[in-house]
Amino acid sequence: MNSQIRTLGIVLMVLFSALFVQLNNLQIFSAGRLNDHPINTRTVVRDFTEPRGTIQTKDGVVIAESVEVDDDFERLRRYPEGELFAHITGYFSFTFGNEGVERTYNDALTGRDRKVTLDRLGDILLEKDKTANVTLTVSKSLQQIATDGLAGRKGSVVAIDPRSGAILALADYPSYDPNTLASHNQDEVRQAWAALNADEGRPLLPRTYRERYFPGSSFKVVTAAVALATGVASLSQPVYPTLTELVLPQSSEPLRNFGGSSCGGPLPEILRVSCNTAFAQMGMDIGAQRMAAGTNQFGFNKVPPIDLPFGAESAFPDPSAFVRNIPALAKSAIGQQDVAATPLQMALVAAGIANNGVIMVPHVMAEVRDSRAELIEQYQPKPWVEAVPPEVAHAVRDMMIGVVAAGSGANAQIPGVAVAGKTGTAQTGLGTSHTWFISFAPAEAPRVAVAVMLENQPSANEFTGGALAAPIARDVMVAALAAP
Amino acid sequence: MDRDPVVAVRRTTELGLMVLAGVVIAGAYVLAALGRSSSLPANLVPLLVIILGLLVAAHMAVRKLAPGADPLLLPLAGLLNGIGYVFVARLRPDLAGFQALWTVLGIGAFIATLALVPRTRNIERFRYTLALFGIGLLLMPLVPVIGQTINGSRLWVKFGPVSFQPGELSKIVLVVFFASYLVEKRELLSMGTHQVAGMWLPEIRHLGPIVLAWSFSLIIMFFEKDLGSSLLFFALFITMLWVSTARGVYLGIGGLMFAVGAVLAYTSFDHVRTRVAIWLDPWAVSNDAGYQIIQGLFAFAAGGIAGANLGQGSPQRIPAVATDFTFAAIGEELGLLGTVAVLGAFLLMVGAGLRIAMRAEPPFEKLLATGLTAILGIQSFIILAGVTRLVPLTGITLPFVSYGGSSLISNYVLLALLLRISDDQAHRAAQAAGAQDSTQLGIR
Repeated sequence: MNSQIRTLGIVLMVLFSALFVQLNNLQIFSAGRLNDHPINTRTVVRDFTEPRGTIQTKDGVVIAESVEVDDDFERLRRYPEGELFAHITGYFSFTFGNEGVERTYNDALTGRDRKVTLDRLGDILLEKDKTANVTLTVSKSLQQIATDGLAGRKGSVVAIDPRSGAILALADYPSYDPNTLASHNQDEVRQAWAALNADEGRPLLPRTYRERYFPGSSFKVVTAAVALATGVASLSQPVYPTLTELVLPQSSEPLRNFGGSSCGGPLPEILRVSCNTAFAQMGMDIGAQRMAAGTNQFGFNKVPPIDLPFGAESAFPDPSAFVRNIPALAKSAIGQQDVAATPLQMALVAAGIANNGVIMVPHVMAEVRDSRAELIEQYQPKPWVEAVPPEVAHAVRDMMIGVVAAGSGANAQIPGVAVAGKTGTAQTGLGTSHTWFISFAPAEAPRVAVAVMLENQPSANEFTGGALAAPIARDVMVAALAAP
Repeated sequence: MDRDPVVAVRRTTELGLMVLAGVVIAGAYVLAALGRSSSLPANLVPLLVIILGLLVAAHMAVRKLAPGADPLLLPLAGLLNGIGYVFVARLRPDLAGFQALWTVLGIGAFIATLALVPRTRNIERFRYTLALFGIGLLLMPLVPVIGQTINGSRLWVKFGPVSFQPGELSKIVLVVFFASYLVEKRELLSMGTHQVAGMWLPEIRHLGPIVLAWSFSLIIMFFEKDLGSSLLFFALFITMLWVSTARGVYLGIGGLMFAVGAVLAYTSFDHVRTRVAIWLDPWAVSNDAGYQIIQGLFAFAAGGIAGANLGQGSPQRIPAVATDFTFAAIGEELGLLGTVAVLGAFLLMVGAGLRIAMRAEPPFEKLLATGLTAILGIQSFIILAGVTRLVPLTGITLPFVSYGGSSLISNYVLLALLLRISDDQAHRAAQAAGAQDSTQLGIR
């Protein structure tokens, strides 16, 4: 019998070894995948019962905080400013996870960030609150002005400090109240979630960095910069013929100027009046390869590395898409056809021109401090892409000054301050237009770059980017420049 | 006897290990309390006195009643029991008092078994009484009025306020019966008259016992809806049959019958199909049927290598965590280090049990020790593998660890019997050595 008993021992040994292997699998090799599993609310619950730091604006307004409540979760997340900062803070929801800064800086807020932990190692026995507070680069005053500028129209306002990439305002409409998703009453949360998702205005969508639109003529800044950088055009040559429409190759449908006007001339002139026929010709002259490469230099087809989750990349087609479709290249050069950009990306285009051709990494975090207000981390500005050489950036800047001083962007003029800008009115093909304005100021030493975008405005002369979007940009720039 | 150096070493080893187990348990209890509320539990000192008192009482009983027994098993069981208690107290404070009571009763049953069974061979006489008793226990939940269905399985018997799972004890009683029956019949059962294609086959009439055991397994499965016990019961019988006859063909026949039973179960029962479906793809039913196993997997993953620390995880999210899923809670709060330690404790117990079986001379004791160890090994594997999704989940308890009186008491009885067999062998060895000594004296 002993040999059978020995065999039994071996069999049991093998079975237990299988258990050992499976435990290693579950607790080490698959642990990350299981922990990140979308239906795993374990981490959220842990975060929920843990203390959590506050999120505040640059001007000291608390926009997310945890208050102690008498239920299983012990702490309730509150958003005192409601809708105003919803697309920046995001939400911290037991049922639906977290979004926005609540998501990207979760480890800092909960104190699980290694930087916080290491710093506080000595405090473990003292039961100190190890959470950290996040201060943002946005200020409430500017955010409010940007939001007020939209005045209940669907759209976005992005304001950036071009020197550092710091986001100064990130406003859009419609928004939502994150308090409704942070509630501990799960039925209420589910109802609110369902209602927000059913809303045709898509209030949960942070349009500023997660939605793409035709940039329209505001994209001509990119085309002009690429033309200068590639030597296809200079400030005086060529002189584009004055036309009302341009017949494109392989096509019988002509490309027309806005409102049926006729225009032409050298680069500064055609940018000032936003001449479609000339820029379409310029795009074709640059060619698919160089146009795509130059656009990608501005960060297109890459997700901007902003510290907010799930950003969208802006799109410019691959050059191969134009091989048998030259008209598409011509239309892309004026920001139509297959070009799509987020308001953030267009703000970055303006910021890049403003910052000598270098686009800085956009960010909303200014600094992280622990509960004793000691500095844990300060955001260090870093360049993202080098869009164009400085001399090209300066030339484009000068032309953009002309747009505001004596062109389509006159509504953005600020007394005593040189403003550089570009309008855009992109036809959606549905009888409406997305109206844009991108700008920066003061033009000689820029401290703020802005992109304003209003969705689906009526296609008529009084509803252009210059008429609708430029005044909002002006107000935001004035406020930003007045701030310390 | 007390002066026997082997005996003295064994008991000293046991005492040392018991103290170690006591320290680990007390430390774990304190940490769990600190982890939950950052304060020391008020009942800490009396509780520690009780734990240590129980361990010492069990040790003293072994010293007195089975001085030559294996020194590993009791401390390992004590350790598992203690860890189990810490987790029950941490997960279900309302059940902690009961679990303490069950532990007292379990140790009591352990001492009583040692006292009532002074020599293993004493119980062999009662084999048919035990068989009837075991079958009676097994079928008891099916009796109307006293039988109770809990969580879809009819495993419970209720007399007034007291309810218990007779199946837990019946396994042990039946193993005693199997051992004595198989020892008597093993020569008959290992004789074969048929040779088919060079393969040895038993006589048809000797297949009776297997068919009987199989039928019982099916009864447990069909009427009590207890897959785990059914599998354990049948696997146990086949293992013992094979060990006693040394005929591998019984494993083949057993496997075949198991396959038939499994197919029968799969085709006739929704709950069996559900169990298998959950095992294959719990994610498809993550919100209802698969919820428990998935939460268990999440708990293991959350624990990682070192665990979330006692009292700091959230294993309460797993349904029935204190009974079926204690191991997942251990995985979350003690991490891989903790789960492997528990795994190691079971493996050591199985090793110690099989060593007792190898050393025992009388076939009955050998087979009984094998059977009892097999219960421990197979049962712990079935539930551990179920919880870790290695095999479909069946709701049986993790010996010594899970919450539950029937399980704890039965396992202590099992432990006492193993120690008894071990002590018998030491006793025989000592006698043989003594006889040799006197012979040598005579020659001189």
